Amino acid sequence: MSTSNTAREAFRDIGSAIAAVWWGFFDWLALVSWKSLVLIWVLVLILGGVLHRPLTALILIVVSAIIKIIAGGKRRADLTASEATRRAEMEQLERTAVEARMQALQTQVEPHFLFNTLASIDQLIQTDPPRASKMQQSLIRYLRSAMPQMRETQRPTLGQQIDLSCAFLEIMAIRMEERLTTVIEVPEGLKSALFPSMMLQTLVENAIKHGLDPKAAGGRLAIRAEVVDAQLAVHVIDNGVGFNPTGDGGVGLANIRERLKALYDGRAELIIAVPPEGGTSATIKVPYEIAPR
Amino acid sequence: MPAKPAPTAVVADDERLMRDQIIGRLKEAWPELVIAGEAANGREAVAMVQGLQPDIVFLDISMPEMDGIKAAQAVAGQVHVVFVTAYDQYAVRAFEQGAVDYLLKPVEPDRVALACQRLRERLTQRPDPMSDLLAQLSERLGGGGVKPREYLRWVQASVGNSLRMIPTSEILFFRAEDKYTRVQTETVEALIRKPIKELVDELDPNEFWQIHRATVVRVDAVAQVTRNLRGNQVVHVKGRDDKLEVSRSFNHLFKQM
Repeated sequence: MSTSNTAREAFRDIGSAIAAVWWGFFDWLALVSWKSLVLIWVLVLILGGVLHRPLTALILIVVSAIIKIIAGGKRRADLTASEATRRAEMEQLERTAVEARMQALQTQVEPHFLFNTLASIDQLIQTDPPRASKMQQSLIRYLRSAMPQMRETQRPTLGQQIDLSCAFLEIMAIRMEERLTTVIEVPEGLKSALFPSMMLQTLVENAIKHGLDPKAAGGRLAIRAEVVDAQLAVHVIDNGVGFNPTGDGGVGLANIRERLKALYDGRAELIIAVPPEGGTSATIKVPYEIAPR
Repeated sequence: MPAKPAPTAVVADDERLMRDQIIGRLKEAWPELVIAGEAANGREAVAMVQGLQPDIVFLDISMPEMDGIKAAQAVAGQVHVVFVTAYDQYAVRAFEQGAVDYLLKPVEPDRVALACQRLRERLTQRPDPMSDLLAQLSERLGGGGVKPREYLRWVQASVGNSLRMIPTSEILFFRAEDKYTRVQTETVEALIRKPIKELVDELDPNEFWQIHRATVVRVDAVAQVTRNLRGNQVVHVKGRDDKLEVSRSFNHLFKQM
Protein backbone atom coordinates (compact mmCIF):
# COMPACT_ATOMS: atom_id res chain seq x y z
CA MET A 1 0.00 0.00 0.00
CA SER A 2 2.79 2.40 0.90
CA THR A 3 4.47 1.57 -2.42
CA SER A 4 1.36 2.54 -4.37
CA ASN A 5 1.21 5.74 -2.36
CA THR A 6 4.84 6.49 -3.13
CA ALA A 7 4.23 5.74 -6.77
CA ARG A 8 1.22 8.06 -6.87
CA GLU A 9 3.24 10.80 -5.24
CA ALA A 10 6.09 10.26 -7.70
CA PHE A 11 3.63 10.60 -10.60
CA ARG A 12 2.21 13.76 -9.09
CA ASP A 13 5.74 15.18 -8.73
CA ILE A 14 6.54 14.32 -12.35
CA GLY A 15 3.25 15.94 -13.39
CA SER A 16 4.08 19.14 -11.51
CA ALA A 17 7.57 19.16 -13.00
CA ILE A 18 6.15 18.92 -16.53
CA ALA A 19 3.67 21.68 -15.73
CA ALA A 20 6.52 23.85 -14.46
CA VAL A 21 8.52 23.28 -17.67
CA TRP A 22 5.45 24.03 -19.79
CA TRP A 23 4.76 27.33 -17.98
CA GLY A 24 8.46 28.21 -18.26
CA PHE A 25 8.21 27.68 -22.03
CA PHE A 26 5.00 29.72 -22.15
CA ASP A 27 6.66 32.62 -20.32
CA TRP A 28 9.72 32.43 -22.55
CA LEU A 29 7.55 32.58 -25.66
CA ALA A 30 5.71 35.58 -24.29
CA LEU A 31 8.95 37.44 -23.60
CA VAL A 32 11.03 36.52 -26.67
CA SER A 33 11.03 39.15 -29.44
CA TRP A 34 9.37 38.36 -32.80
CA LYS A 35 12.72 38.93 -34.54
CA SER A 36 14.52 36.16 -32.63
CA LEU A 37 11.45 33.95 -32.91
CA VAL A 38 11.54 34.22 -36.73
CA LEU A 39 15.28 33.43 -36.63
CA ILE A 40 14.55 30.32 -34.58
CA TRP A 41 11.80 29.30 -37.05
CA VAL A 42 14.30 29.49 -39.92
CA LEU A 43 16.70 27.27 -37.95
CA VAL A 44 13.87 24.83 -37.18
CA LEU A 45 12.94 24.73 -40.91
CA ILE A 46 16.56 24.03 -41.87
CA LEU A 47 16.79 21.35 -39.17
CA GLY A 48 13.47 19.86 -40.41
CA GLY A 49 14.88 19.73 -43.94
CA VAL A 50 18.10 18.10 -42.81
CA LEU A 51 16.18 15.51 -40.77
CA HIS A 52 13.58 15.04 -43.55
CA ARG A 53 10.74 16.07 -41.20
CA PRO A 54 9.45 19.26 -42.87
CA LEU A 55 5.85 18.69 -41.67
CA THR A 56 6.86 18.38 -37.97
CA ALA A 57 8.91 21.57 -38.27
CA LEU A 58 6.00 23.39 -39.90
CA ILE A 59 3.52 22.25 -37.20
CA LEU A 60 5.99 23.37 -34.50
CA ILE A 61 6.24 26.79 -36.09
CA VAL A 62 2.47 27.25 -36.47
CA VAL A 63 1.77 26.08 -32.88
CA SER A 64 4.46 28.34 -31.40
CA ALA A 65 3.15 31.29 -33.44
CA ILE A 66 -0.35 30.76 -32.04
CA ILE A 67 0.97 30.40 -28.48
CA LYS A 68 3.11 33.50 -28.95
CA ILE A 69 0.05 35.53 -29.94
CA ILE A 70 -2.00 34.29 -26.96
CA ALA A 71 0.85 34.52 -24.47
CA GLY A 72 1.85 37.98 -25.68
CA GLY A 73 -1.69 39.22 -25.00
CA LYS A 74 -1.73 37.70 -21.53
CA ARG A 75 1.67 39.17 -20.80
CA ARG A 76 0.58 42.65 -21.84
CA ALA A 77 -2.51 42.33 -19.64
CA ASP A 78 -0.30 41.24 -16.73
CA LEU A 79 2.03 44.17 -17.26
CA THR A 80 -0.83 46.65 -17.40
CA ALA A 81 -2.31 45.16 -14.25
CA SER A 82 0.95 45.32 -12.31
CA GLU A 83 1.55 48.88 -13.52
CA ALA A 84 -1.92 49.86 -12.29
CA THR A 85 -1.23 48.22 -8.91
CA ARG A 86 2.07 50.05 -8.61
CA ARG A 87 0.43 53.37 -9.40
CA ALA A 88 -2.36 52.70 -6.88
CA GLU A 89 0.24 51.91 -4.22
CA MET A 90 2.13 55.12 -4.95
CA GLU A 91 -1.08 57.14 -4.72
CA GLN A 92 -1.98 55.44 -1.44
CA LEU A 93 1.46 56.28 -0.06
CA GLU A 94 1.19 59.92 -1.10
CA ARG A 95 -2.27 60.16 0.43
CA THR A 96 -1.01 58.70 3.73
CA ALA A 97 1.82 61.21 3.76
CA VAL A 98 -0.55 64.14 3.22
CA GLU A 99 -2.94 62.85 5.88
CA ALA A 100 -0.07 62.37 8.30
CA ARG A 101 1.01 65.96 7.71
CA MET A 102 -2.51 67.17 8.37
CA GLN A 103 -2.73 65.14 11.57
CA ALA A 104 0.55 66.58 12.74
CA LEU A 105 -0.78 70.08 12.19
CA GLN A 106 -4.08 69.46 13.89
CA THR A 107 -4.45 70.75 17.39
CA GLN A 108 -4.02 67.94 19.83
CA VAL A 109 -5.01 69.93 22.87
CA GLU A 110 -7.49 67.84 24.78
CA PRO A 111 -10.48 69.84 26.05
CA HIS A 112 -10.46 67.94 29.33
CA PHE A 113 -6.88 69.00 29.97
CA LEU A 114 -7.57 72.61 28.97
CA PHE A 115 -10.67 73.08 31.16
CA ASN A 116 -9.16 71.34 34.18
CA THR A 117 -6.06 73.52 33.90
CA LEU A 118 -8.11 76.69 33.60
CA ALA A 119 -10.14 75.65 36.64
CA SER A 120 -6.90 75.11 38.60
CA ILE A 121 -5.60 78.53 37.56
CA ASP A 122 -8.93 80.05 38.66
CA GLN A 123 -8.50 78.51 42.11
CA LEU A 124 -4.84 79.58 42.40
CA ILE A 125 -5.68 83.18 41.47
CA GLN A 126 -7.53 83.38 44.80
CA THR A 127 -5.18 81.37 46.98
CA ASP A 128 -1.71 81.76 45.45
CA PRO A 129 -1.53 84.42 42.69
CA PRO A 130 2.22 84.02 41.88
CA ARG A 131 1.70 80.27 41.34
CA ALA A 132 -1.39 81.01 39.22
CA SER A 133 0.69 83.27 37.03
CA LYS A 134 3.40 80.63 36.65
CA MET A 135 0.85 77.99 35.72
CA GLN A 136 -0.78 80.30 33.20
CA GLN A 137 2.61 81.00 31.61
CA SER A 138 3.23 77.27 31.28
CA LEU A 139 -0.19 76.89 29.65
CA ILE A 140 0.57 79.68 27.19
CA ARG A 141 3.93 78.10 26.33
CA TYR A 142 2.24 74.74 25.85
CA LEU A 143 -0.57 76.12 23.68
CA ARG A 144 1.84 78.16 21.56
CA SER A 145 3.86 75.12 20.58
CA ALA A 146 0.93 72.71 20.35
CA MET A 147 -1.09 74.96 18.05
CA PRO A 148 -0.82 74.16 14.37
CA GLN A 149 1.69 76.32 12.56
CA MET A 150 0.61 76.18 8.98
CA ARG A 151 3.50 78.32 7.79
CA GLU A 152 6.01 76.19 9.62
CA THR A 153 9.00 76.07 7.30
CA GLN A 154 11.66 74.70 9.62
CA ARG A 155 11.67 71.11 10.70
CA PRO A 156 11.11 70.76 14.45
CA THR A 157 14.00 69.93 16.78
CA LEU A 158 14.06 67.65 19.80
CA GLY A 159 14.70 70.72 21.96
CA GLN A 160 11.40 72.30 20.87
CA GLN A 161 9.54 69.07 21.50
CA ILE A 162 11.11 68.74 24.97
CA ASP A 163 10.14 72.35 25.81
CA LEU A 164 6.56 71.64 24.82
CA SER A 165 6.36 68.50 26.96
CA CYS A 166 8.07 70.28 29.88
CA ALA A 167 5.42 73.00 29.82
CA PHE A 168 2.75 70.29 29.86
CA LEU A 169 4.45 68.42 32.71
CA GLU A 170 4.84 71.63 34.79
CA ILE A 171 1.07 72.06 34.57
CA MET A 172 0.39 68.42 35.45
CA ALA A 173 2.81 68.62 38.39
CA ILE A 174 0.84 71.50 39.91
CA ARG A 175 -2.42 69.64 39.38
CA MET A 176 -1.33 66.16 40.44
CA GLU A 177 1.01 67.38 43.21
CA GLU A 178 2.85 64.48 44.89
CA ARG A 179 1.20 62.01 42.51
CA LEU A 180 3.61 62.99 39.70
CA THR A 181 7.41 62.98 39.71
CA THR A 182 9.18 63.98 36.51
CA VAL A 183 12.71 63.12 35.43
CA ILE A 184 14.15 64.64 32.24
CA GLU A 185 17.53 63.40 31.06
CA VAL A 186 18.26 64.86 27.66
CA PRO A 187 21.87 65.85 26.89
CA GLU A 188 22.11 69.52 25.85
CA GLY A 189 23.92 68.47 22.67
CA LEU A 190 20.97 66.44 21.39
CA LYS A 191 18.48 69.31 21.57
CA SER A 192 19.44 70.55 18.12
CA ALA A 193 18.68 67.15 16.56
CA LEU A 194 15.67 66.91 14.26
CA PHE A 195 12.63 65.23 15.74
CA PRO A 196 9.06 65.07 14.34
CA SER A 197 6.45 67.26 16.01
CA MET A 198 3.94 66.16 18.67
CA MET A 199 5.21 62.56 18.86
CA LEU A 200 7.00 62.95 22.19
CA GLN A 201 3.98 64.83 23.52
CA THR A 202 1.64 61.97 22.51
CA LEU A 203 3.82 59.51 24.44
CA VAL A 204 3.94 61.81 27.48
CA GLU A 205 0.17 62.30 27.47
CA ASN A 206 -0.36 58.54 27.12
CA ALA A 207 1.96 57.86 30.05
CA ILE A 208 -0.07 60.21 32.25
CA LYS A 209 -3.52 59.25 30.99
CA HIS A 210 -3.15 55.46 30.72
CA GLY A 211 -0.22 54.84 33.07
CA LEU A 212 -0.10 57.22 36.04
CA ASP A 213 -3.51 58.86 36.31
CA PRO A 214 -5.43 55.58 36.82
CA LYS A 215 -3.08 54.76 39.71
CA ALA A 216 -4.23 56.30 43.02
CA ALA A 217 -0.67 56.77 44.25
CA GLY A 218 0.55 58.17 40.92
CA GLY A 219 4.20 57.61 40.04
CA ARG A 220 7.25 58.66 38.04
CA LEU A 221 7.61 59.75 34.42
CA ALA A 222 11.02 59.90 32.76
CA ILE A 223 12.05 61.34 29.38
CA ARG A 224 15.46 60.20 28.16
CA ALA A 225 17.31 60.71 24.89
CA GLU A 226 20.44 59.07 23.50
CA VAL A 227 22.18 58.33 20.22
CA VAL A 228 22.76 54.65 19.46
CA ASP A 229 24.21 53.51 16.09
CA ALA A 230 23.43 56.82 14.35
CA GLN A 231 19.83 56.57 15.57
CA LEU A 232 18.33 59.12 17.95
CA ALA A 233 16.32 57.20 20.55
CA VAL A 234 13.83 59.09 22.72
CA HIS A 235 12.30 57.14 25.62
CA VAL A 236 9.24 57.92 27.72
CA ILE A 237 9.12 55.61 30.74
CA ASP A 238 6.47 55.46 33.45
CA ASN A 239 5.91 53.15 36.41
CA GLY A 240 2.13 53.28 36.14
CA VAL A 241 -0.52 50.60 35.80
CA GLY A 242 1.00 49.09 32.63
CA PHE A 243 -0.24 48.45 29.16
CA ASN A 244 -3.67 46.96 28.47
CA PRO A 245 -3.24 44.33 25.71
CA THR A 246 -6.91 44.38 24.70
CA GLY A 247 -7.08 48.18 24.53
CA ASP A 248 -6.42 49.81 21.18
CA GLY A 249 -3.52 51.70 22.78
CA GLY A 250 -5.08 54.94 21.61
CA VAL A 251 -5.21 56.36 18.14
CA GLY A 252 -2.07 58.22 19.11
CA LEU A 253 0.31 55.28 18.81
CA ALA A 254 -1.11 54.15 15.46
CA ASN A 255 -0.70 57.74 14.21
CA ILE A 256 2.93 57.85 15.28
CA ARG A 257 3.59 54.56 13.43
CA GLU A 258 1.91 55.83 10.26
CA ARG A 259 3.75 59.13 10.36
CA LEU A 260 7.14 57.48 10.98
CA LYS A 261 6.50 55.27 7.96
CA ALA A 262 5.56 58.23 5.78
CA LEU A 263 8.46 60.41 7.00
CA TYR A 264 11.31 57.89 7.20
CA ASP A 265 10.25 54.91 5.08
CA GLY A 266 11.36 52.11 7.40
CA ARG A 267 14.32 53.92 8.94
CA ALA A 268 12.39 54.84 12.10
CA GLU A 269 10.38 52.87 14.61
CA LEU A 270 8.16 53.02 17.67
CA ILE A 271 8.82 50.37 20.30
CA ILE A 272 6.58 49.71 23.29
CA ALA A 273 8.22 47.63 26.00
CA VAL A 274 7.46 46.52 29.52
CA PRO A 275 10.32 47.43 31.91
CA PRO A 276 11.25 44.75 34.49
CA GLU A 277 9.95 46.99 37.31
CA GLY A 278 6.53 47.34 35.63
CA GLY A 279 4.79 50.23 33.91
CA THR A 280 5.37 51.09 30.27
CA SER A 281 8.34 52.26 28.23
CA ALA A 282 7.81 53.81 24.79
CA THR A 283 10.73 54.54 22.47
CA ILE A 284 10.86 56.41 19.17
CA LYS A 285 13.97 55.86 17.06
CA VAL A 286 14.70 58.13 14.09
CA PRO A 287 17.87 58.74 12.06
CA TYR A 288 20.12 61.18 13.96
CA GLU A 289 20.24 64.46 12.04
CA ILE A 290 21.30 67.90 13.25
CA ALA A 291 19.03 70.80 12.28
CA PRO A 292 20.59 72.98 9.56
CA ARG A 293 21.40 76.50 10.79
CA MET B 1 -37.94 70.97 69.74
CA PRO B 2 -34.34 69.77 69.15
CA ALA B 3 -32.39 71.59 66.43
CA LYS B 4 -32.14 69.67 63.17
CA PRO B 5 -28.59 68.34 62.73
CA ALA B 6 -26.48 70.31 60.23
CA PRO B 7 -26.39 68.77 56.73
CA THR B 8 -23.13 67.03 55.82
CA ALA B 9 -21.24 66.48 52.55
CA VAL B 10 -18.28 64.56 51.12
CA VAL B 11 -16.25 66.10 48.28
CA ALA B 12 -14.43 63.74 45.89
CA ASP B 13 -11.90 64.91 43.27
CA ASP B 14 -8.41 63.61 42.51
CA GLU B 15 -6.97 67.14 42.42
CA ARG B 16 -6.64 68.96 45.73
CA LEU B 17 -6.95 72.39 44.11
CA MET B 18 -10.34 71.37 42.74
CA ARG B 19 -11.54 70.07 46.11
CA ASP B 20 -10.42 73.34 47.72
CA GLN B 21 -12.32 75.28 45.11
CA ILE B 22 -15.61 73.41 45.57
CA ILE B 23 -15.32 73.52 49.36
CA GLY B 24 -14.55 77.26 49.26
CA ARG B 25 -17.59 78.00 47.12
CA LEU B 26 -19.83 75.76 49.24
CA LYS B 27 -18.79 77.66 52.40
CA GLU B 28 -19.87 80.93 50.78
CA ALA B 29 -23.15 79.60 49.44
CA TRP B 30 -24.18 77.35 52.33
CA PRO B 31 -22.31 78.17 55.57
CA GLU B 32 -24.22 75.56 57.63
CA LEU B 33 -23.13 72.67 55.39
CA VAL B 34 -20.48 70.57 57.16
CA ILE B 35 -17.75 69.04 54.96
CA ALA B 36 -17.43 65.62 56.57
CA GLY B 37 -14.61 64.34 54.36
CA GLU B 38 -12.50 64.75 51.23
CA ALA B 39 -11.79 61.80 48.89
CA ALA B 40 -9.08 61.65 46.19
CA ASN B 41 -10.54 58.78 44.16
CA GLY B 42 -13.78 56.89 43.58
CA ARG B 43 -12.98 54.06 45.95
CA GLU B 44 -12.24 56.45 48.82
CA ALA B 45 -15.43 58.34 48.05
CA VAL B 46 -17.57 55.19 48.30
CA ALA B 47 -15.87 54.15 51.56
CA MET B 48 -16.45 57.63 53.02
CA VAL B 49 -20.10 57.74 52.01
CA GLN B 50 -20.67 54.34 53.61
CA GLY B 51 -18.65 55.19 56.72
CA LEU B 52 -19.72 58.79 57.37
CA GLN B 53 -23.22 58.59 55.84
CA PRO B 54 -23.29 62.20 54.63
CA ASP B 55 -26.41 63.78 53.12
CA ILE B 56 -24.65 64.85 49.93
CA VAL B 57 -21.65 63.71 47.88
CA PHE B 58 -19.93 65.83 45.21
CA LEU B 59 -18.35 63.43 42.70
CA ASP B 60 -15.80 64.36 40.06
CA ILE B 61 -16.53 62.17 37.03
CA SER B 62 -12.98 61.31 35.99
CA MET B 63 -11.05 59.92 38.94
CA PRO B 64 -8.47 57.13 39.32
CA GLU B 65 -9.32 53.64 40.63
CA MET B 66 -13.07 54.12 40.20
CA ASP B 67 -14.69 56.87 38.18
CA GLY B 68 -17.49 59.10 39.48
CA ILE B 69 -20.22 57.21 37.60
CA LYS B 70 -19.20 53.86 39.08
CA ALA B 71 -18.88 55.43 42.52
CA ALA B 72 -22.41 56.86 42.14
CA GLN B 73 -23.70 53.40 41.18
CA ALA B 74 -22.15 52.01 44.36
CA VAL B 75 -23.88 54.54 46.64
CA ALA B 76 -27.10 55.07 44.67
CA GLY B 77 -30.11 55.66 46.89
CA GLN B 78 -27.97 56.25 50.01
CA VAL B 79 -26.95 59.84 49.37
CA HIS B 80 -27.81 62.86 47.21
CA VAL B 81 -25.30 63.09 44.36
CA VAL B 82 -23.94 66.14 42.54
CA PHE B 83 -21.61 65.39 39.61
CA VAL B 84 -18.65 67.67 38.94
CA THR B 85 -16.73 67.72 35.66
CA ALA B 86 -14.37 70.05 33.83
CA TYR B 87 -15.55 69.18 30.37
CA ASP B 88 -19.09 68.17 29.59
CA GLN B 89 -18.20 65.22 27.38
CA TYR B 90 -20.89 63.06 28.96
CA ALA B 91 -23.59 65.64 28.22
CA VAL B 92 -24.60 65.70 31.89
CA ARG B 93 -26.37 68.92 30.97
CA ALA B 94 -29.13 66.81 29.47
CA PHE B 95 -30.10 65.70 32.98
CA GLU B 96 -30.18 69.15 34.51
CA GLN B 97 -33.93 68.91 35.17
CA GLY B 98 -33.62 65.46 36.73
CA ALA B 99 -33.08 64.41 40.31
CA VAL B 100 -29.30 64.75 40.03
CA ASP B 101 -27.43 68.02 39.70
CA TYR B 102 -24.07 68.67 38.05
CA LEU B 103 -21.44 71.40 38.25
CA LEU B 104 -18.89 72.46 35.66
CA LYS B 105 -15.34 73.35 36.70
CA PRO B 106 -14.30 76.03 37.44
CA VAL B 107 -17.42 76.16 39.58
CA GLU B 108 -19.11 79.56 39.46
CA PRO B 109 -20.47 81.02 42.73
CA ASP B 110 -23.95 81.66 41.26
CA ARG B 111 -24.21 78.13 39.92
CA VAL B 112 -23.10 76.69 43.29
CA ALA B 113 -25.73 78.82 45.05
CA LEU B 114 -28.42 77.42 42.75
CA ALA B 115 -27.22 73.84 43.33
CA CYS B 116 -27.29 74.40 47.09
CA GLN B 117 -30.82 75.77 46.95
CA ARG B 118 -31.99 72.71 45.04
CA LEU B 119 -30.21 70.43 47.50
CA ARG B 120 -31.91 72.09 50.50
CA GLU B 121 -35.29 71.33 48.93
CA ARG B 122 -34.27 67.81 48.08
CA LEU B 123 -32.88 66.94 51.52
CA THR B 124 -36.42 66.46 52.80
CA GLN B 125 -36.87 63.59 50.34
CA ARG B 126 -35.12 60.25 50.12
CA PRO B 127 -32.07 60.20 47.81
CA ASP B 128 -32.98 59.29 44.25
CA PRO B 129 -31.74 55.84 43.13
CA MET B 130 -30.76 57.50 39.77
CA SER B 131 -31.10 54.17 37.98
CA ASP B 132 -32.11 55.53 34.54
CA LEU B 133 -29.57 58.31 34.61
CA LEU B 134 -26.69 56.09 35.70
CA ALA B 135 -27.55 53.46 33.10
CA GLN B 136 -27.46 56.13 30.39
CA LEU B 137 -24.26 57.72 31.68
CA SER B 138 -22.45 54.42 31.95
CA GLU B 139 -23.57 53.55 28.43
CA ARG B 140 -22.07 56.82 27.23
CA LEU B 141 -18.86 55.91 28.99
CA GLY B 142 -18.88 52.62 27.12
CA GLY B 143 -19.28 50.54 30.26
CA GLY B 144 -22.96 49.67 30.04
CA GLY B 145 -24.85 46.74 28.64
CA VAL B 146 -23.24 43.60 27.27
CA LYS B 147 -19.67 44.40 26.33
CA PRO B 148 -18.51 43.17 22.92
CA ARG B 149 -15.78 40.56 23.27
CA GLU B 150 -12.38 42.11 23.64
CA TYR B 151 -9.70 40.54 21.49
CA LEU B 152 -5.95 40.92 21.82
CA ARG B 153 -4.70 44.10 20.15
CA TRP B 154 -1.17 43.84 21.56
CA VAL B 155 0.97 40.80 22.20
CA GLN B 156 3.51 40.86 25.00
CA ALA B 157 6.54 38.99 23.67
CA SER B 158 10.25 38.70 24.40
CA VAL B 159 12.76 40.04 21.90
CA GLY B 160 16.22 39.18 23.17
CA ASN B 161 16.26 40.31 26.80
CA SER B 162 13.43 42.80 26.59
CA LEU B 163 9.70 42.40 26.87
CA ARG B 164 7.90 44.15 24.04
CA MET B 165 4.31 45.07 23.32
CA ILE B 166 3.74 44.29 19.64
CA PRO B 167 0.54 45.58 18.00
CA THR B 168 -1.34 42.75 16.29
CA SER B 169 -1.54 44.91 13.16
CA GLU B 170 2.24 44.51 12.74
CA ILE B 171 2.27 40.74 13.15
CA LEU B 172 2.54 38.62 9.99
CA PHE B 173 2.08 35.20 11.58
CA PHE B 174 2.42 33.05 14.70
CA ARG B 175 4.09 29.66 14.48
CA ALA B 176 4.51 26.94 17.10
CA GLU B 177 8.17 26.15 17.69
CA ASP B 178 9.07 23.62 20.39
CA LYS B 179 7.96 25.05 23.74
CA TYR B 180 7.43 28.53 22.33
CA THR B 181 5.31 30.31 19.80
CA ARG B 182 7.19 32.51 17.36
CA VAL B 183 5.72 35.96 16.68
CA GLN B 184 6.92 37.28 13.34
CA THR B 185 6.67 40.89 12.17
CA GLU B 186 8.35 42.30 9.10
CA THR B 187 11.44 43.26 11.11
CA VAL B 188 11.25 41.46 14.44
CA GLU B 189 11.11 37.85 15.54
CA ALA B 190 9.76 37.47 19.07
CA LEU B 191 8.78 34.58 21.31
CA ILE B 192 5.84 33.98 23.59
CA ARG B 193 5.06 31.07 25.88
CA LYS B 194 1.40 30.86 24.97
CA PRO B 195 0.55 27.85 22.78
CA ILE B 196 -1.20 28.39 19.43
CA LYS B 197 -4.32 26.67 20.76
CA GLU B 198 -4.84 29.30 23.48
CA LEU B 199 -3.81 32.15 21.23
CA VAL B 200 -6.48 31.34 18.65
CA ASP B 201 -9.19 31.96 21.27
CA GLU B 202 -7.83 35.39 22.17
CA LEU B 203 -7.23 36.73 18.67
CA ASP B 204 -9.88 38.46 16.58
CA PRO B 205 -11.11 35.77 14.12
CA ASN B 206 -11.62 38.51 11.52
CA GLU B 207 -7.98 39.56 11.83
CA PHE B 208 -6.21 36.19 12.16
CA TRP B 209 -6.84 32.79 10.55
CA GLN B 210 -5.50 29.48 11.69
CA ILE B 211 -4.19 27.67 8.60
CA HIS B 212 -2.39 24.78 10.27
CA ARG B 213 -2.18 23.12 13.69
CA ALA B 214 1.01 25.10 14.22
CA THR B 215 0.33 28.29 12.25
CA VAL B 216 -1.88 31.36 12.55
CA VAL B 217 -1.60 34.07 9.90
CA ARG B 218 -2.89 37.65 9.79
CA VAL B 219 -5.33 37.77 6.88
CA ASP B 220 -4.16 41.17 5.64
CA ALA B 221 -0.54 40.00 5.60
CA VAL B 222 -1.23 37.25 3.05
CA ALA B 223 0.47 38.18 -0.24
CA GLN B 224 -0.60 35.13 -2.23
CA VAL B 225 -1.53 31.48 -1.98
CA THR B 226 0.18 28.97 -4.31
CA ARG B 227 0.42 25.20 -4.47
CA ASN B 228 3.62 23.29 -3.84
CA LEU B 229 4.78 20.21 -5.80
CA ARG B 230 2.66 17.96 -3.61
CA GLY B 231 -0.45 19.99 -4.33
CA ASN B 232 -0.77 21.58 -0.86
CA GLN B 233 -1.69 25.23 -0.53
CA VAL B 234 1.16 27.47 0.59
CA VAL B 235 0.67 30.97 2.01
CA HIS B 236 3.23 33.67 1.17
CA VAL B 237 3.31 36.69 3.50
CA LYS B 238 4.07 40.30 2.63
CA GLY B 239 7.65 41.46 3.12
CA ARG B 240 9.17 38.09 4.03
CA ASP B 241 10.21 34.83 2.34
CA ASP B 242 8.55 32.47 4.82
CA LYS B 243 6.24 29.94 3.18
CA LEU B 244 3.46 28.68 5.39
CA GLU B 245 1.82 25.39 4.52
CA VAL B 246 -1.96 25.13 4.82
CA SER B 247 -3.07 21.79 6.22
CA ARG B 248 -5.92 20.03 4.44
CA SER B 249 -8.48 20.72 7.16
CA PHE B 250 -8.03 24.47 6.61
CA ASN B 251 -8.01 24.32 2.79
CA HIS B 252 -11.53 25.74 2.57
CA LEU B 253 -10.26 29.14 3.81
CA PHE B 254 -8.59 29.83 0.49
CA LYS B 255 -11.17 28.25 -1.84
CA GLN B 256 -11.64 30.44 -4.91
CA MET B 257 -13.26 33.61 -3.56
